[in-house]
Amino acid sequence: MNISASILEIAVVLLGVVIMLADLWTPPKYKSWLGVGSAAGLLLILAGSFFLQVNEPIQAFGGMYVLDAFALFFKRFFIVATMLVLLISVEYSKKFQSGSGEYFSLSLFALSGMMFAASANHFALLFVSLELITITFYILTSFLRHQIISLEAGIKYLILGALSSAFLLYGIALVYGATGTMQFDALRAQSANMVQSPLLLVGLLMILAGLGFKIAAFPFQIWAPDVYQGSPNSTTAFLAVGSKAAGFALLMRLLMSAVPDVALSWEPLLMGMAAITILYGNLCALPQRNLKRLLGYSSIAHAGYLMMGVAAMSLNGSGAILYYLSGYLFTVIAAFLVIILVMQHTGAEDIIQLAQLHQRAPGLAGMLALSMVSLAGIPPLAGFFGKFLLLRAVLEQASVHTAYYGLVAVAVIGVVISLVYYFGIIRTIYWEKQQLVADEIHVSPISRVVLWVCAVLMIYLGILPNRLMEAASTAVESLKF
Amino acid sequence: MIGLEHYLIVSALLFSLGMMGVILRRNLIVIYMGLELMLNAANLALVAFSRFNNSMDGQVMVFFVITVAAAEVAVGLALIVALYRKRQSTEVADLTTLKL
Amino acid sequence: MESQLAQYIPVLMLGALAATFAFGTLLASAILGKTGYRSRIKDTAYECGMLPVGEGSARFSVKFYLVAMLFILFDVEVVFLYPWAVVYKDMLVEHAHLIFGSMMIFLALFLVGFIYEIKKKAFDWKS
Repeated sequence: MNISASILEIAVVLLGVVIMLADLWTPPKYKSWLGVGSAAGLLLILAGSFFLQVNEPIQAFGGMYVLDAFALFFKRFFIVATMLVLLISVEYSKKFQSGSGEYFSLSLFALSGMMFAASANHFALLFVSLELITITFYILTSFLRHQIISLEAGIKYLILGALSSAFLLYGIALVYGATGTMQFDALRAQSANMVQSPLLLVGLLMILAGLGFKIAAFPFQIWAPDVYQGSPNSTTAFLAVGSKAAGFALLMRLLMSAVPDVALSWEPLLMGMAAITILYGNLCALPQRNLKRLLGYSSIAHAGYLMMGVAAMSLNGSGAILYYLSGYLFTVIAAFLVIILVMQHTGAEDIIQLAQLHQRAPGLAGMLALSMVSLAGIPPLAGFFGKFLLLRAVLEQASVHTAYYGLVAVAVIGVVISLVYYFGIIRTIYWEKQQLVADEIHVSPISRVVLWVCAVLMIYLGILPNRLMEAASTAVESLKF
Repeated sequence: MIGLEHYLIVSALLFSLGMMGVILRRNLIVIYMGLELMLNAANLALVAFSRFNNSMDGQVMVFFVITVAAAEVAVGLALIVALYRKRQSTEVADLTTLKL
Repeated sequence: MESQLAQYIPVLMLGALAATFAFGTLLASAILGKTGYRSRIKDTAYECGMLPVGEGSARFSVKFYLVAMLFILFDVEVVFLYPWAVVYKDMLVEHAHLIFGSMMIFLALFLVGFIYEIKKKAFDWKS
């Protein structure tokens, strides 16, 4: 028994419990400090994570839990993501009529679920950690419970989320029935010589459906636009970065460590999913007038790009996913923070609200434009380099399967389509003539710091990608693919 | 003699019935009951496989599923009640605020 | 390739059977449910020949629902106490700290939830 392997998760859970208890005795005026406090606590945990050495994968809890370079990379990623989300939700929490303290502790519990998901090496841990994330997100999405729109988003997420968990669980049951084990290492040995077993394949397909829901890949993406639009802005950002990345961490671990032989025969299926997801997300984003809904569709498209890395079934593809997710994190957080700041007083999030933003707040306008450019994948920003790595990884595989050329073509078409709507937003910011009743925009010191951090990292990751690329490639090596 | 396949057939039936409930019913509470039925169908399959595979993993998993399902029900019903207070309705057809 | 696909036939059959049953039940209830002569008198509840008074189902306060929910959450968690109790004696010999400590941590987390409920006045029935 090696409990100390999960020291980071224990620290996060403790932090969440402390925040939850502290909230009970904190007067409402000081509640936002709880958010700052939890972000500071996460910074400490992040610093502590660099003292962990994982030259060898460490297993704990009877092989259920594994701490390797891959898990550690994702844990740090989730901690950074949650830290930024907590800071932007401090800004947003004025909108909550009550319970902002709970919002912070729930975010921390969701983080612990994501961190366990990164280390899942057994179906039980996979299921429980995924449900920990999903159930907390049901609450986080409907946190503005006095607004019908937020409740509706919560209910839609709830019904479809529960449906996908049921599929996931039934799939787990079938895989367990076929192989007699739930532990991934044992599964790897078992599944190698039963690639033909229908029970195993049907079970894995159902698990793929369950995980596909989390990452909003076609055809399990129907919830995404509604939930992205209806949720509180900080939750939408968390959904886009945290929940999606957790889905990818589990998907990569499952396909590459647990059932590599089956996964290899699924290349066409994964390629098809990736291609359709890219096209669907980008085409549906075109006519959107609501900024959050547009970002919802664009996140579907990004899930499609990331699926390309999975479909490539190679170390380079997986490394590219890790890199892409990191770049996407800072871009999305910056975009949503600007949305929160600009649209604080207006109820709706129509793109037209951004008109003439460069006169009202040139800094924020520049920041939003920067993140749109990064999302579109224009050099020299992080978004460009991520897409470049993904496409390169897919092209490398083209010698194995010519369909990969088609996938690359679809991805390029997707990027071109996405330019239309991303530049539509930038055009509205700088060149839209229509004048609106402009609210005064107040940027707090915390938001300023977050925006600067995101901007610097977006540019840094685009120009000097080497360090992160190295970290990503060491991380994926422990997938044993 | 009742074998593994009998359990699996019952479990598949329960799963399909639950899914039909989710797809065809219009009331959120009934949809939720369908979802619970699907989870329990999976539980039945897990226990049956556990028995016939001679390993305890499946039964341990069921414990976790039961707890997770309880948490899910608690959150889900709270949401449905909150929606009912707002809308005086639990019909799916009334969930139409979020559109293009 | 063909033999590989052929192996899916039992799964397909099972799925078809399950779907038929589900649809069949719905169809049967739709067909059988509405036949026969019905009138308002016939549909009223039978109560020893007396005319029923008021609603069939009594309304009750939503507070009961909250209490029931809290009860279920605490009740279900006990599920982990049973397997723990079964192995407790065996594990006490070698892993005394582990077996005792793990349950204490579990219960401590519970206590936190309990404190939270009390502070949030979830048990305050009067308000």
